[in-house]
Amino acid sequence: MAALSAATAIIAVVVPFAAGLSLLGTVPMGILAYRYRLRVLLAATVAGGLIAFLVAGMGGLMTVVHCAYIGGMTGIVKRRRRGTATVVVAALCAGVVVGAMSVLALAVLSRLRMLIFNSLTANVDGAAAVLRRIPHMEIAAARLKEIFAAALHYWPWLIGGSSMLSVLVVSLIGWWALSRVLRRLFVIPDVHQLETPVDDGPIAPVPVRLEDVRFRYPGAAHDALGPLSLTLEPGEHVAVTGANGSGKTTLMLILAGREVSSGEVERPGSVGLGKLGGTAVIMQHPESQVLGTRVADDVVWGLPPGAHIDVGRLLEEVGLDGLAERDTGGLSGGELQRLAVAAALAREPSLLIADEVTSMVDQQGRDALLGVLSRLKDRHRMALVHITHYNNEAGFAERVINLTGNGADDNTEMVQIAAPPRASSISAGAGRPVLQLRGVGHEYSSGTPWATTALRDVSFSVNQGDGVLIHGGNGSGKSTLAWIMAGLTVPTTGECLLDGRPAADQVGAVAISFQAARLQLMRTRVDREVASAAGFSPYDRRRVEAALATVGLDTGLAGRRIDQLSGGQMRRVVLAGLLARSPRALILDEPLAGLDAASQRGLLRLLEDLRRRSGLTVVVISHDFVGLEELCPRTLHLSGGVLQGASEAPGRSGAAGRSA
Amino acid sequence: MTATRQRRPVVLLRPVPGRTPIHELWAGTKLAVVFGISVLLTFYPGWLPIAAVGALVLTAAWMAHIPRGALPSIPRWLWVLLAFGGITAAFSGGAPIVHVGSAALGFGGLLYFLRVTALSVVLLGLGAMVSWTTNVAEIAPAVATLGRPLRWLRIPVDEWAVALALALRAFPMLIDQFRVLYAARRLRPRPVRSARRGRFRRSAAEVIDMVAAAIIVSLRRGDEMGDAVTARGGTGQISAVPSRPKLADWMAFLVVVLVCGAAVAFEVLVVSTTA
Repeated sequence: MAALSAATAIIAVVVPFAAGLSLLGTVPMGILAYRYRLRVLLAATVAGGLIAFLVAGMGGLMTVVHCAYIGGMTGIVKRRRRGTATVVVAALCAGVVVGAMSVLALAVLSRLRMLIFNSLTANVDGAAAVLRRIPHMEIAAARLKEIFAAALHYWPWLIGGSSMLSVLVVSLIGWWALSRVLRRLFVIPDVHQLETPVDDGPIAPVPVRLEDVRFRYPGAAHDALGPLSLTLEPGEHVAVTGANGSGKTTLMLILAGREVSSGEVERPGSVGLGKLGGTAVIMQHPESQVLGTRVADDVVWGLPPGAHIDVGRLLEEVGLDGLAERDTGGLSGGELQRLAVAAALAREPSLLIADEVTSMVDQQGRDALLGVLSRLKDRHRMALVHITHYNNEAGFAERVINLTGNGADDNTEMVQIAAPPRASSISAGAGRPVLQLRGVGHEYSSGTPWATTALRDVSFSVNQGDGVLIHGGNGSGKSTLAWIMAGLTVPTTGECLLDGRPAADQVGAVAISFQAARLQLMRTRVDREVASAAGFSPYDRRRVEAALATVGLDTGLAGRRIDQLSGGQMRRVVLAGLLARSPRALILDEPLAGLDAASQRGLLRLLEDLRRRSGLTVVVISHDFVGLEELCPRTLHLSGGVLQGASEAPGRSGAAGRSA
Repeated sequence: MTATRQRRPVVLLRPVPGRTPIHELWAGTKLAVVFGISVLLTFYPGWLPIAAVGALVLTAAWMAHIPRGALPSIPRWLWVLLAFGGITAAFSGGAPIVHVGSAALGFGGLLYFLRVTALSVVLLGLGAMVSWTTNVAEIAPAVATLGRPLRWLRIPVDEWAVALALALRAFPMLIDQFRVLYAARRLRPRPVRSARRGRFRRSAAEVIDMVAAAIIVSLRRGDEMGDAVTARGGTGQISAVPSRPKLADWMAFLVVVLVCGAAVAFEVLVVSTTA
């Protein structure tokens, strides 16, 4: 049910956006109706309708209802495996109902009807009056007035009939178009992992003992985990390490109550996932962890009605004291994860599982979060299982369990963490300038009460063949800078020139790879994707293969579906498409985020190679430093929207290259 | 290119900063008032009720210190459309007729057009006032409280409130994702030319691909949020502070009812500006 309510929420948001383009809103509604029960569709319609009403008034609300009708009908008919005949019958019934209702509404709202009719008559009469002045159009003008007056006279039939007809036509068109779109979307896998365990009884998740446990996902050829034996005592702090694919997340699922394929799991009571005194889980993606819109609301989110907790004390424990009234939207990744810890602590769990909670958090946030986790033991009697692929994080634990995995032989090493290099001089190297920024500043929503300044007076230039790292924390304006350099955003002050002309006039000449690689992949298959991004025909096999070879991908991958690629492969496919257009420069926004050690190293080596051999100009936007010295000899520090000079660089001297 | 005058963007679901009596009102009050006034205006769309509601909106905007900058820039095509509608309506003439020298000018048609326009503007202004003065975090709990009577009809109001709360939480994240998606689209070259039929097919395929990418990303986000909900043991409380009306809310209710009631009474009993 949890996944459903979240899916509902997502769709409720998508729908009002689609108000402009009606067909778009029907798509998510169709998926919802296909996957889940009518009740879910109803909840989505209510939530979406309310938001649309707030955003766009009555018209928005009507659009949402409309989308829900077409999408819902198509989804349900598809799920029941019926055809066009069913749609026609359903549409006729709906048409009669809608027609009758609109006539009834207008009959009751007589004053509004009069106003609308009079206003329309005025417009038609006026148009007729103008027509009459034009020679030879007198008859047409008279006819126009007559026809309109006659139509108004028979308005109940006209409006009832036309509503019926339009419902029928729209339903059939919607059904026809939607069937084609949905066919592709029905195969999207449901990727949710956690399931509410079915066991009842007293909650006591620890001590837990695993005996020769194996786990295999349905339809998989190998065991994802095991055989594994371990015990976990109350109050114990354990770190679980291992490479991607070694079964770390699977172990988390088993501890959170998933049934194992073979072997035995013994615990004194039930798991009690999310229950008071039970098991709490914090996962990887900071933004998805936090469910409340306000910090204090998030701490209590999902607690049983009537449960009272001391929100202030919990926030103080995770170092967020005084932020209770803040919006969660403005928090950094590290703060969001600490908030998730507070929400977990609100349940006084006996077992807390932190699954790679630091992997999407910057260095500063990582330190604070680890500090919070390591202090938990002093105040609470809970077992803490910390799953991580950073080697220094395992050091906090009393015991380390290293999972070696099954068949995951390609990436066995742990990620190193480096300290920031010193900012180097702002003056550039030798080559001809490619990008020149002069006094660039940017303000979002300027002129409104919500105006926020993202950048202030940023000046530097990037030369041909340069490798520049732009480093900054959360909210430093580094992403805005990347968008300006790519020409996607026009700065409010100053100018950004590409080869002497404004970058915004040459969108596409500078390539940019976004942090969320999936958003940049729009086609279904690798070859079509690369061809579309690069602008050549998908049948041009030679060029597709050449593009894939540039980024070190096997040409056999060309026919692979995008959804079957790993994170590292997705990033390379994006690069293949971008590089095939020979961009003037390549901007990479957090290129290493979410990749394991081997993929990180491989990607970096590839980029270094490209820069050295083909003189590619590279700008990296990142809070990670490891291995980037080679690719980006020049570093610029951005803080609070201002470029920090070399002298103001954060003074962690001598720490460069330190592996913690 | 120095500071050029920019168009003011539409800012959605973010309150204007500040703490005024209007900001402090319970979100449920504002929703109920907006709903009530919308119903009232659909039944009595006369000049007087429109003017009364317009005055209420302006007073509330003044009390909430809403600056003019909060209004988004109006696109030019809307002005053109309005001018076109106004001109055609003006030509229809009709009572009342004003005599200027020897010419008789009928303003009836124009007045009807102006009334419809004013009605739309006032209704949009009402919605905007809610979105400008209400923290989104307060909306879902208020809906849960307002919808409590519906529970007797076995309508799952709490479920709707949770869906609404999660939707409002996901709103900014999805806007960001759509922004990136749109930017990624802009970065791509125009598709290669081909026969007309093929071109239509390809552009249809392109739209489908865009929609699919957007939905896939949204569904993935939904699954992740679903996991987070499960990890918290399902749904339950959604707000840390109780959500119910205070004294100020009853006062606001009273003012709105008095103003609207007076306008309607005058309209129905004394002089009808509706017909």
